[in-house]
Amino acid sequence: MGPYNSSVSAGSSSGSSSSCSGKPADPIDGLLAGAGYRVRSSELRQVAQRLARLENVMVNAPTEVSHLANDAVHYNPSDLASWVDSLLSELHQPEIAPDPSTFSDLNYIAHTQAGPVLVNPMVSHRELSAGTEIEEDSGIRLVHVLMTCAESVHRGELSLAASLIEELQGLLTSVDGERGIGKVAGYFIDALSRRVFAPPSPPSLAVSAFENTVLYHHFYEACPYLKFAHFTANQAILEAFDGHDCVHVIDFNLMHGLQWPALIQALALRPGGPPLLRLTGIGPPSPDGHDSLREIGLRLAELARSVNVRFAFRGVAASRLDDVKPWMLQVNPKEVIAVNSIMQLHKLLGSDPSRGSPIDPVLEWIRNLNPKIVMVVEQEANHNQPEFLDRFTEALHYYSTMFDSLEAYSAPLEKSLAEIHIQREICNVVCCEGLARVERHEPLDKWRDRLGGAGFTSLHLGSNAFKQASMLLTLFSAEGYCVEENEGCLTLGWHSRPLIAASAWQAMPVLQHPLPLINHRQNVI
Amino acid sequence: MVNLLQNGDLCMEEAKEETPMFCINDNEDVLVEILRRLDGRSLGSAACVCKMWCGIARNDALWEHLCFRHVSPPPSGVRPVVVALGGYRRLYMVCVRPVLSRLGRMRVGLGGGESDLVRRVWTRQEVELSLSLFCVDYYERLLGGGGKLGDAPASSLMFLCKTVNV
Repeated sequence: MGPYNSSVSAGSSSGSSSSCSGKPADPIDGLLAGAGYRVRSSELRQVAQRLARLENVMVNAPTEVSHLANDAVHYNPSDLASWVDSLLSELHQPEIAPDPSTFSDLNYIAHTQAGPVLVNPMVSHRELSAGTEIEEDSGIRLVHVLMTCAESVHRGELSLAASLIEELQGLLTSVDGERGIGKVAGYFIDALSRRVFAPPSPPSLAVSAFENTVLYHHFYEACPYLKFAHFTANQAILEAFDGHDCVHVIDFNLMHGLQWPALIQALALRPGGPPLLRLTGIGPPSPDGHDSLREIGLRLAELARSVNVRFAFRGVAASRLDDVKPWMLQVNPKEVIAVNSIMQLHKLLGSDPSRGSPIDPVLEWIRNLNPKIVMVVEQEANHNQPEFLDRFTEALHYYSTMFDSLEAYSAPLEKSLAEIHIQREICNVVCCEGLARVERHEPLDKWRDRLGGAGFTSLHLGSNAFKQASMLLTLFSAEGYCVEENEGCLTLGWHSRPLIAASAWQAMPVLQHPLPLINHRQNVI
Repeated sequence: MVNLLQNGDLCMEEAKEETPMFCINDNEDVLVEILRRLDGRSLGSAACVCKMWCGIARNDALWEHLCFRHVSPPPSGVRPVVVALGGYRRLYMVCVRPVLSRLGRMRVGLGGGESDLVRRVWTRQEVELSLSLFCVDYYERLLGGGGKLGDAPASSLMFLCKTVNV
């Protein structure tokens, strides 16, 4: 405790003396001192460079570096500069010339003590003061110009936007386009240029369902968001099906059906034996007569047969969810129903909250099915705001965080494919309007209001789901993901920014109005 | 054999009868009992000794014991499911070992060696999670092989095999 106390007090005293126009020989940086680190302001840049190098070395170390956490004794770690140097020399790294392309990442290290976070260009000057030397750096400049360009698009000044886009593309060459701010900015610049230069009809992101499925699969592998969604949903559905012998799951987006093997296995092993499981999978129609829904159904049936679960599958092909009519689902009155929607409901929202949107009739027929549980997993973001600039800013933050979390995944091909999946979302949020814009994400609170108003009541997800989600995250090598509980719903995020939210709902029992009864009595009388 | 001679000296004498040489390969049940007590890595090494040991060490019952000997109470009714999805040896390799070592590392701190895995007790939830991941593995192999099962671990489980990032 001693050394820390003394370094903090030394830091703050020299920090305050420097602000009092004293003539300190070399002031200790005030912000970092608040966190217990002594770094001279003049050395900030070098220390940040060395930290970046250290990070590189540790990630790419040919041998285990965990001994550094176990055995190494770090003297006076608050003296950040010499601590980093000692670690670097211990790992035998030769001196390399500072690489200007890593500067963009240095913003993260210098500005925050809690891992990489996108620097908000609107942030107060006080927060920027720690990195004043790095302020002219290309990363920040890139974000500045990006926001200016978005503003000009928002105001309709397309010629200005066009010239800004050219400037942005120039700026891109001076940052590392492979990671950090360079990569995210690259995607947003691309989206903006599509919006400004491309014809008004939706850009040629005309997607094949097959491509979508492949990209989705790689997104499933590269980061835990979808796995979290699947496992949390399965846990809730399993609990809802407890004690019932005839169960029916309606999946709003079947894809490869990766969610269902785990549920089938859990049902196979549940005390009392498995129920009869029916699965109705909704998906886009496949071209050229090839029935991909049916094929997935066959694989799932094969798996169910191996583990002795009675299983029946039905595929419903529909390009939009509001094309699905309840009679297509062929619901049996004796069975217990679970509706599963992983990132599908937002596609039905409209931009004008006062007018009805396509989601209302869908929520109504869902409710009329009287499901035991409705699982809703959605992106935790506010991408459906009416003003373009608000959407753009929010999307920049959201997707930067998401790309950050992907950094840890090392397989390069799969990572690129997962990134293309995300890039398509970005393009849709930024470029498209009207019916073409389907990525209309809304945050959990708005979903609560909407679902509550449509006659659903919230079901708490419970500690089993939370524990399972935490365990799942521990199995991932990247530390930085966090599961949080939010009034009975679970969210998964990166460094305390929730990115995806899972919630469970139940149809409220339809109230029996007393009025008809009174009328009846009156009639009788 | 030590003999007492008439003059009081002791002398060593060749034993007249031959004590039978004990060969472990002739006593399969003893071998199995020994192998049951090993950890996964040693069991794997044992399989490399000779053809006979390989045959014995690959016996799924041994791996079943390895997977669940520290689960209390032992899960019931699991065997047909595990066998259908690929067997206990595969379950151990693909799911149990990585799950235990990752979760064990987080719990104990660092330095979870293989021997720690032997002593560690699972929770019911860890068992369930491993089984679910095993099922996903089976399904992905089904998908990838176009209906036939491949042998390589499925891609979404590769994250379990990666070393922990610092």
